[in-house]
Amino acid sequence: MANTVDQLLEQVRENRIWRSIFRSGTGDSNLHKSLFVQQNVFLHLFSIKARKRTLEFSATWYLGAMTLGTFLILVITGILLMLYYHPSVPQAYADMKDLQFVVSSGVFLRNLHRWSAHAMVFLVFAHMFKVFYRGAYRPPREFNWVVGVVLLLVTLLLSYTGYLLPWDQLAYWAVTVGSNIASAVPVMGSKIRFLMLGGTAVNANALLRFYVLHCVILPLAAILFIAIHFWRIRKDGGIYAGEPAPEVESK
Amino acid sequence: MKDKLKSLWRFFFGDSARAFGSASLILLALLAISPAKDHFSQWRHYQKQYLHLIRGRADAVTLERHFQGGIQQIWIPEQQVTDRCTTCHLGLKEASLNDVSAVAFRKHPVIPHSLTEFGCTTCHRGQGAATTVEEAHSATEQWEQPLLRAKYIESGCGQCHLEKQTATPFLNQGRQLISTSGCTNCHTIKQADGTYIVPEDDPPSLKHVADKTTREWVYAWIKDPQAYASTATMPNYHLSDDDARDISAFIIAQSAPLEPPLQPVKADAKAPADPAAGTSLYGQSFCASCHAMQNAAGMLVGGNVGPELTGIGTKAKPEWLPDWVANPNHYDPATMMPHYRFDAAQVATLAGFLASKTEPDFLANVHLDPATPQQIEHGKRLVLENGCASCHEINGIKKPENFAPELSRIGSKPMSQLLFVEGVERSLPGYVSAKVRNPRAFGSSLKMPQFKLTPQQVDAITTALLALTDRAQTQPPAMRIASVQQTKYEPAGHAGQLMKDLRCFTCHMINGHGGDMAPDLTWEGTAVQRDWLTQFLKNPETLRPALIRRMPKFNLTEAEINSLADYMMTVYQTPQFDRDWLPVSEFTPATAEQGRQLFYSKFACQSCHIADFAKDKGYIGPALAGTGKRFNAAWVYHWLKDPQALRPGTIEPNQHMTDDEARALTAFLMSLKSTGSKEVAKK
Repeated sequence: MANTVDQLLEQVRENRIWRSIFRSGTGDSNLHKSLFVQQNVFLHLFSIKARKRTLEFSATWYLGAMTLGTFLILVITGILLMLYYHPSVPQAYADMKDLQFVVSSGVFLRNLHRWSAHAMVFLVFAHMFKVFYRGAYRPPREFNWVVGVVLLLVTLLLSYTGYLLPWDQLAYWAVTVGSNIASAVPVMGSKIRFLMLGGTAVNANALLRFYVLHCVILPLAAILFIAIHFWRIRKDGGIYAGEPAPEVESK
Repeated sequence: MKDKLKSLWRFFFGDSARAFGSASLILLALLAISPAKDHFSQWRHYQKQYLHLIRGRADAVTLERHFQGGIQQIWIPEQQVTDRCTTCHLGLKEASLNDVSAVAFRKHPVIPHSLTEFGCTTCHRGQGAATTVEEAHSATEQWEQPLLRAKYIESGCGQCHLEKQTATPFLNQGRQLISTSGCTNCHTIKQADGTYIVPEDDPPSLKHVADKTTREWVYAWIKDPQAYASTATMPNYHLSDDDARDISAFIIAQSAPLEPPLQPVKADAKAPADPAAGTSLYGQSFCASCHAMQNAAGMLVGGNVGPELTGIGTKAKPEWLPDWVANPNHYDPATMMPHYRFDAAQVATLAGFLASKTEPDFLANVHLDPATPQQIEHGKRLVLENGCASCHEINGIKKPENFAPELSRIGSKPMSQLLFVEGVERSLPGYVSAKVRNPRAFGSSLKMPQFKLTPQQVDAITTALLALTDRAQTQPPAMRIASVQQTKYEPAGHAGQLMKDLRCFTCHMINGHGGDMAPDLTWEGTAVQRDWLTQFLKNPETLRPALIRRMPKFNLTEAEINSLADYMMTVYQTPQFDRDWLPVSEFTPATAEQGRQLFYSKFACQSCHIADFAKDKGYIGPALAGTGKRFNAAWVYHWLKDPQALRPGTIEPNQHMTDDEARALTAFLMSLKSTGSKEVAKK
């Protein structure tokens, strides 16, 4: 039985289509393994090898992985929510009501998106604290720390832009306050506010802008920086596993 | 126990394969919660109940054919209506379900609108999108408009119907009260059709008030207007003694003497006039058509157009009364009171009669020292603060603009903008009615005074205010039925001057301008014969025996009467037909007899009208015994054919007579030429 399955799998792997996609072919040698990783766009972001210590719970508390998990949930539920949502006034709020009252599992979908967003913000912070207090930000990983900070900002902006979309009182005033804070910037404050809202008040244009930011620009930015972040883990020698601090060069 | 738990843990999470399997099962169970909730939703439960209900009924087959499962909705995008109420309320259109005890499934009462064209929340409020009882009916954090209480339901009609509708008496009453209580002196109310609710409380000008009354009376009056006259329109400001003292000082100090000045009462005229003569002149002049007065039994008798006169002798100065009775225009050119042509003796009699109507208790405890400049200055400040000039004309004080908040959209005011106090129901209707009922409960510093309103009147005003919604203001104009506004019609020439002097428009409506107490005279020239009109103006007889309010006798001169009659006969003609279109000479006694039969048998006109004072007892409509002298045959004929075409809103029913029937009845009515009233017939 087991032999039959193995034979079948072997046949599939030898298949021409399979080989055209995964060029490394079959085999257990180190070369095969490393080629398999290197030639896969997703896997090549990760290290070829990982130290066993870094895979233990205590090493990372899996905070980064969980952040990625929430991000994936958010992407999937977000796309589903987009099927029911019009970024227009006052239809946006009516769409919330439809999700609540007539869409099958609509409440579940919306709540999943909302709580995952809260969880992601929390996990991003937890992840950063863990990295900071363990000293994992130190060279050679200092650039990845910077990428992480950018990702923090993107996460917060995603959270903030998503806040307006239900178009309820809470959303309206949160964004009114937020945009007023932006207008406190010296010299160009009111211009920034105008740019943010697409006008002088929180209205249809602001809703559309926040929608585009939330659903297109910021997710693309997040995906781009996540890719760089993961790729840099590999390039910086894998996940930090408690190496001694590098000596500070003094001149 | 501990071992047992341990082994259980090991069974589910002992190794990674078991842990993965268990975690997957738990996740699957969690994911199943949401679809399960959908499946066991409230609306499905109600639909099952409905099906159960109709299956037990005789017309189950028809009802089941009408039934559609799943979420139902009435969707009217241009009005932003998405009402899913019909998901549970399944029997709204089923005529046979009007006896069902469960309100949810009962048929909707008959209304002139189709439910699918207007939706539910348009009138009932609540959350139309919701599919659960709690969310649809109650105020929640995400939806602040709960279902409207049934007593305010006419406010829904008022959003589109700005005109008076017989089906909405409560709403009409509320609008009328807003107008007659003078709410809109301070609050602006712009209706959806762009018109404003005009105040009709007719507050008196205070320009010459010191000529009319004393400072003591002003003091006691502003302290508590209803203590002087229970029907007083003026609200109670709950003024302190000092504030009332200072306001009265200022009001009197600002008063300018009349030009020419009032004649002091002569010593010899002070002799008490014959009380019976005064009473009968008061009666003959039909003062009670407009003014109320308490009779010996303490009952109020009379109309509410003018102020109550129970205590007029306490209020008015003795030299003011004769001047006013002789010609009200002298004191107040804008008054609604007609200028009766009384002779000097009549003036003295009536003034003496009125002066004898006192309420001595009212001023019993009022003792005011002469006003100091400080008091007057303080009084001025109080007058400005309380907005007295919003209603009254006061020398030296400008009418404040927008003294109180505008109420044009009060029916949609967000809850976040309302401040509630204890004991007030936390809802918009609760807030509005509490504010109308007792404004000072919201803080003693609030300026709005206390109006004297019954609970039913408060609800009526609340209903009218709740009709002023965002929806009313923003809906397409085609949805709106505009309010009927008074025109600015003014008759021209000498007769016009006369009609203004006699204040015909206080009671009569002509060309859309005037009051509704007496008949509309727009087409009076077509309706009546000139001889009758002159006779009537000379001595108005009793046309409607059941009414207390009747046309007064103005003591007009021959020339004045001719001038009025000429004008009315020439100008107030209907374009619908010619006055002389049906000459009386065409009628034969036979037709008249045929008409008599119709009058008494087929149409039973005697139920409401009197054709013969000796026989008939109909008191609802006007007596018709003098029709042949009063009306033109053409008018009578057309009136019988279609009364509403000649006078919209008249209660005379349209009997849908044939041409011959109408002609016969006209012949009969035109043969009635009794001159007198019932009293004459008795003699």
